[in-house]
Parts: sequence; C-alpha cells; structure tokens
Amino acid sequence: MKTLKILTVAVVGAIAIAVVSGMLETHERTNLFAERPVPNENKKQSPAKEKTAVLVGYHIGDAATDFSLKNIDGEKVSLKNYDDAKGFMVIFTCNHCPYSVAYEDRIIALDKKYKNLGYPVIAINPNNPDEYPSDSYDAMKVRAKQKGFTFPYLVDTDQNIFPQYGATKTPHVFLLKKEGDQNIVKYIGAIDDNYHDENAVKNNYLENALQSLIRGEEIAVTTSPAIGCRIK
Amino acid sequence: MNKLLSLFALIIICTACDNRPIATVTAIGQDGLRETVSPNDKIKVINFWATWCAPCVEELPHFESVGSSYLEEVDMILISLDEKKNIQSAVDPFLKENNIKSKVLLLDDPYAAEWIPIVDQHWDGAIPVTLIVSKDKKQFFNKALSKADLENAIKEFL
Repeated sequence: MKTLKILTVAVVGAIAIAVVSGMLETHERTNLFAERPVPNENKKQSPAKEKTAVLVGYHIGDAATDFSLKNIDGEKVSLKNYDDAKGFMVIFTCNHCPYSVAYEDRIIALDKKYKNLGYPVIAINPNNPDEYPSDSYDAMKVRAKQKGFTFPYLVDTDQNIFPQYGATKTPHVFLLKKEGDQNIVKYIGAIDDNYHDENAVKNNYLENALQSLIRGEEIAVTTSPAIGCRIK
Repeated sequence: MNKLLSLFALIIICTACDNRPIATVTAIGQDGLRETVSPNDKIKVINFWATWCAPCVEELPHFESVGSSYLEEVDMILISLDEKKNIQSAVDPFLKENNIKSKVLLLDDPYAAEWIPIVDQHWDGAIPVTLIVSKDKKQFFNKALSKADLENAIKEFL
C-alpha cells in the first residue's frame, strides 16, 4: 500500500515536471510546424517586388497619363475631351471608405466652384469590387445619385490607372494643369487637413493650390500627407 | 494527495489559457500618440486599424495570437482610427466579438497630416500599417501583414 502511494506521488511528480517544462518551451516549439512551403513563397515573392517598383507614381512636375474610363452613365471619359478645361482635380475616391464619405460634400462644393474657373473634378473609383462589394459599379451609380454628384465618377476597371498616378488610398488628390497637350501634376495629397470637420480645417491644401494656379502664382504646399483607406 | 493533484491541475489550467480580460478602448491625442510610438525597454508592436477597414480586420487575429504568445517580450498595441463617437456602437462590440485582449487605443485627432509623420515619414496615410520599435531599432510596414510576416518581423527584434 505504502509502495503504491510512493509510486503514485513519483508518477504524478514526473508528469507535472514534464508538463511544466514542456510549457516553458513554448517559444521554441512554435516553429515545429511549417506554416507554408518555402519554395512557393520564394516563387511568389519575385513578381510582387517588380510590381511595387512600378507603383512609384507621379511626382510634382510629371506629365499625368490620360485615360478612357467608364463613367456611371456608361459613357467613356477622357481628359482630352475637356477642350475648355485649364486643368483637373483628379480625385481617387470610393463608396466604402469613411474618409471618402466624409469628403463627398466638400468634393461637390469644390467641383461647383472651380469647374467654372476651368478646373473640374474627375472622380475615379480604383477599388476592386470583389474586395469591397460596396464599391461596385451599381453601388457607385446609387451613391452618385443619392449625393447628387456634379462630376464624373469613373471606374478604373482594369486597375491600370491608379498605379500609374501612384494613388495608394482613397481619397487621394492629383491636381493637374494643362500645359500644351500635357497635364502636369501640380499638387498631390489630401483635400484639406481635417476630414472630420470642415469648419475646423487649418490647411485648405487643394483649394490653396487651385487659387495659386488660377492667380498664376507658385503653389506653396505641393504635397501633403493624406489619411485614407488602402486601395485594393 | 488530492490537494497536490488539484494544485497541479490548477497550475496547468491557468498557464494554458489567456486570462487577460477583453480590451477596453482608451482615446488618445497627438501627445499620447507621440508617447506610444517612442522607444521603450520592451519591444512595441503598434498596429493602426479601424473596424470599417476590411484588410485591417483580416490581419487583426494574427496580432492577437502572436501577441499572446510573446506576452513577456512584446507590448502589442492596436491603435484604432475609428471615430470616438463610435466606441460604444462599433469598437467595443468588435473587441468583444473578436475576443481582442491586446491593448487598444483610439486616436481621436482629425489632423491626420500632423500625426502621420509622427508615426513614420514613409507612411502614405493608408491603413493598415504596423510599426515595431525597440530601444535601438525601428521598422515600419506600410502594408497588411500575414501571420508569418509578423512573427518573422518580431523575431528580428528579439
């Protein structure tokens, strides 16, 4: 009986020591199971690197590419069709992103005010609707109608245009000025510095840049950091 | 004998499970952000996210599980960019539903152009992004991370 008791204590003790020391080793054990086959990962990585190299985008002074993208009315829109324009506010925006939604009224106001002065808004939705269903073509039509968009709202269907501009998020603004037959990038960044409250804006980046262009003056602030939703 | 057994059982149960409570949100401003991203003795992994951000929500479980396996070495800090008024309606329910136990802050400051450079000069302003800082090292990831990405990144700091 006594031997059994000693034996039990010894066995329990041994199990306890094994369990505790096993637990102490958890970090070394996390790698016991391979998460992904290594060769596949290497294969995937090389084309991805090339892609990021292409995604550099425009700098101030570069000539921006024209495009032919489908508008919500089904018509194709290109910058070259705007004979009277002096330039464009090209704004990458979308439905799903709260920052984009917060700026909708301001984008409409900017278009109304500056279209007549030669700088209309061209809005482009760069997102893949498979990633964000609320950014689908049909949802774009609905949103544009609800808000009464006064500007074209285009789809970057093949997702070819936004990488050339270097847009990475929505909203992301590229202010262009026509010079000869080119559209030169004059400002890149945010619409202003307060997405939450337009009455508390300290820096009206886009409007200040527009005013400078119209007056024929140098733009003081040509880029700004812009908060947004990553384009996918 | 029975006492000894139950003591062992208790020890085993307590060590195996993550006893931390579900996170509660603390709102911070630019000063709080500056303090949060500044280096400390312990490694900090700081992830910027929001409840409405699909790629953020997708990667959040990685931060939660990797964070709980490096509790001793890493401070996992999740900074939400949701609006403060949505804490009760969106953020708290999200934390509960997804069993989030890491530290959760909410950056309540609309002047993004002022605080984006505080986090990193290379941040383009899109979320998700992740910053890892230690006493002598800093790395910024301007993209979503897989679980393997995150673990490898942390291992570089250990």
